[in-house]
Amino acid sequence: MSYAPPEENTLGVILGRGKRREADATRRVIRAATPHRSSLGTGFIGIGAAIVVGLRAIYGLAWFAGQAMAGDVYSELWAAAAAWVVLLAVLGATFVVARIIGHLPDWMFVIFCVGLGAAAALDVYSIWPLHDIGRHATAAITAGMGLLVVITLRRTRDILIAVSALGVGLLAAMIINTPLRPSDFAPQVTSLAFAVLPAIIGVVVIGGFRRLVQVELDRVLVQSTVSAPRFAVGMMASEELARLDLAAEELLDTVATGKVKLPLDPKTASVAASLATELRLHLIEGRRETWLYHAITESDHLGKSVTLNDRSSLAGLLDPQQRDGLLSTAWLLVSDAKKNVSRSVQITVGPATDSLETREGRKITVPIVIETTGVARNRVDPATWEAIRKVGHYSDSTQNSSLRVDIACLVDNPADQ
Amino acid sequence: MTAMDLIAKERDRLLQRTARVYGLSFTIVSLVCLAIPGAVDTASFFVCLPLYLLIAFCQYRIGSSRSMLWVIPIIVAGLGIVAVVTLLAPESTGEAGVSAVAQMTAASMASTAVVLTTDLRRRLFLALSFLLTVGLTTSLLLPFQPPTRTIALVVLGWVLATIIGFWISAGVPQAARRIASIGRAHRAERQASETEAQRRQGARLLHDTVLATLTLLAHSGVGVAPDAMRQQAAEDARLLRQLRLGATPTPQSSGVYNLENTNDDMVLGTTLESVKQRFGRMGLEVSWHGTGQVLLPTEVLDAFLLALAECLENVRRHSGVTQAHVTITEDETMVRAMVTDSGVGFTLDDVDSARLGFKESVVARLKEVGGKARLFSAPGSGTTVVLEVPR
Repeated sequence: MSYAPPEENTLGVILGRGKRREADATRRVIRAATPHRSSLGTGFIGIGAAIVVGLRAIYGLAWFAGQAMAGDVYSELWAAAAAWVVLLAVLGATFVVARIIGHLPDWMFVIFCVGLGAAAALDVYSIWPLHDIGRHATAAITAGMGLLVVITLRRTRDILIAVSALGVGLLAAMIINTPLRPSDFAPQVTSLAFAVLPAIIGVVVIGGFRRLVQVELDRVLVQSTVSAPRFAVGMMASEELARLDLAAEELLDTVATGKVKLPLDPKTASVAASLATELRLHLIEGRRETWLYHAITESDHLGKSVTLNDRSSLAGLLDPQQRDGLLSTAWLLVSDAKKNVSRSVQITVGPATDSLETREGRKITVPIVIETTGVARNRVDPATWEAIRKVGHYSDSTQNSSLRVDIACLVDNPADQ
Repeated sequence: MTAMDLIAKERDRLLQRTARVYGLSFTIVSLVCLAIPGAVDTASFFVCLPLYLLIAFCQYRIGSSRSMLWVIPIIVAGLGIVAVVTLLAPESTGEAGVSAVAQMTAASMASTAVVLTTDLRRRLFLALSFLLTVGLTTSLLLPFQPPTRTIALVVLGWVLATIIGFWISAGVPQAARRIASIGRAHRAERQASETEAQRRQGARLLHDTVLATLTLLAHSGVGVAPDAMRQQAAEDARLLRQLRLGATPTPQSSGVYNLENTNDDMVLGTTLESVKQRFGRMGLEVSWHGTGQVLLPTEVLDAFLLALAECLENVRRHSGVTQAHVTITEDETMVRAMVTDSGVGFTLDDVDSARLGFKESVVARLKEVGGKARLFSAPGSGTTVVLEVPR
């Protein structure tokens, strides 16, 4: 038997500065903390969507009742009434069931869509002889908005497919059924818009909300670095170290019990060599990183556009308030970016200058330079200045038409501690 | 800048984007209705067109700006469109024109309600715009359709948009609170992870011997008696197992880990002896000279011993001799170890110091505890390493 190498090489993580892997780790933490992503606030939004649909349904029902009482609209009143019964039953049942079980399985979503489709078909059938779907359709139009009931529970793609299917179906029915006269255009356009647009707007809102939750989660998880010690190992390190220790233990065990012959075959020997290298790096390098390094590498958001240059690990000397300020600054500078403008932020910390006496004791000055690309001075969020002020006295200037901030950050002299 | 401010900012951004998409899509639908032949007469259409463009531009700007400046023109221009369609040439305004007005007042203008829910001033403005729109539209549309119909539609549109605004405003802080609690849990996890990593990293002597053994194995264990190799591997595996089990607090496994030192100071002599024995098993005879008993703080001792062992390992692997001398000296401030061998030596420039592990294993560790290392060697005249740590 030969020794089975560890599943993955951690060396790349350390040498490659491990952005992706650590971001994955953050994501894993989020997953563990929230079994259903929908539970993160979208549940509340879902209720709001249901209320909106309810109001719209009341409006549609009133319209339907008006037409039914007029007496001369429906030749097949039962079909239109059945359409409303089916629609309300499907909406109500889906809302209640989804509330109880917290999510909407595929098969239930299919039933939901079939129900909406049936309601729309019944409604269109009942007004077919009138040859003016736009003016008389009620349940069919409400069905489109009904998709909002499940908007927080399904992926954007599912909702868009469903609403397109309904939209195309209605459009086809209108083209076949309704004579193409300009005087009849407006009701058709209006009805189609009221059927399709709410779901599409809903998709945009929910997309924005989910993005907001992601960004906020990212920020909050990274925020925990503010209280980290001067040097920290980061979230992945202890796990990696434990894994390496275990791999070493297993390898040594196979040697000790004689399962592999001595001298070792080259393959096992190279496994031992890489284990030793990785272990060495983990034991030595792991401690050399500051909270700021971990914050940037662990964040999906900051990791993409912030680079850190802190050769002497001076960022570790900042107190929690200064750290909070610096992190907020980076965050605000990066997060305001529009999609088509690429922003980058480079933070250079140090070298430290002479110590000086203050009322609170001896302090040293750590210069922090924030250089940016794509950040116009007048585009900076006012809150950014407040955040920078927390770090220390600053002066700002413009360099290559982008913002540059020089901060003089006073910190406790590490030699006194 | 508090977390709540950041959240409010994110919330406003979401509301603004919602209002933008909401407003723009219905503005387009309304304009399509107005463009249908027979909706309004040509003159009215061309009077309305710039108003539509203004509304669309403002709705686009609402998406990225919090300013009320972009809301007011929408209401004014929207009501202007209603007036133009219903008053300029009422005789030629058809059903499509009425539809366009309905889309404009009940959806496109109503979309501003989404961003008018966050504070009192905005809510007042919302109420005012709503009443103005309902009142004006209903009265102006009187000749075209019954007032109940207009009121029902416009009220529905504004109520829906207002609910959306309020609901998002309320939903975001709710989500933020849950996220904050996840953040607290994460901070606890970070601390736990830090402690665990420190526990493992703190087991330096253990890792030191494990690294030495792994390095031997990396060279296929050549040059070491197989039995000695197995014995060493078994010993190291046992200690690693104890380290691993230390995470679960079972009484029989805690306290067994005999390399971890709980005292603040530790006697150098006894640990030097264990290093000597280990290298003895590997075929390198280490002779000690000088001070036998030196007290050092644990972490300094760990770094010192690791560096020492690393130097001896280099002697064993590269020098070509089987004997090394270690001389320990001390004064008031420093403890010094001189590792010498009479082996082949090398030219400092020729050797990749990273390959020797010298820089990372020796220099870096000593530096961490305030010590340093110096290396002297020449081909044919052996190698001397001086290690220094503060007391």
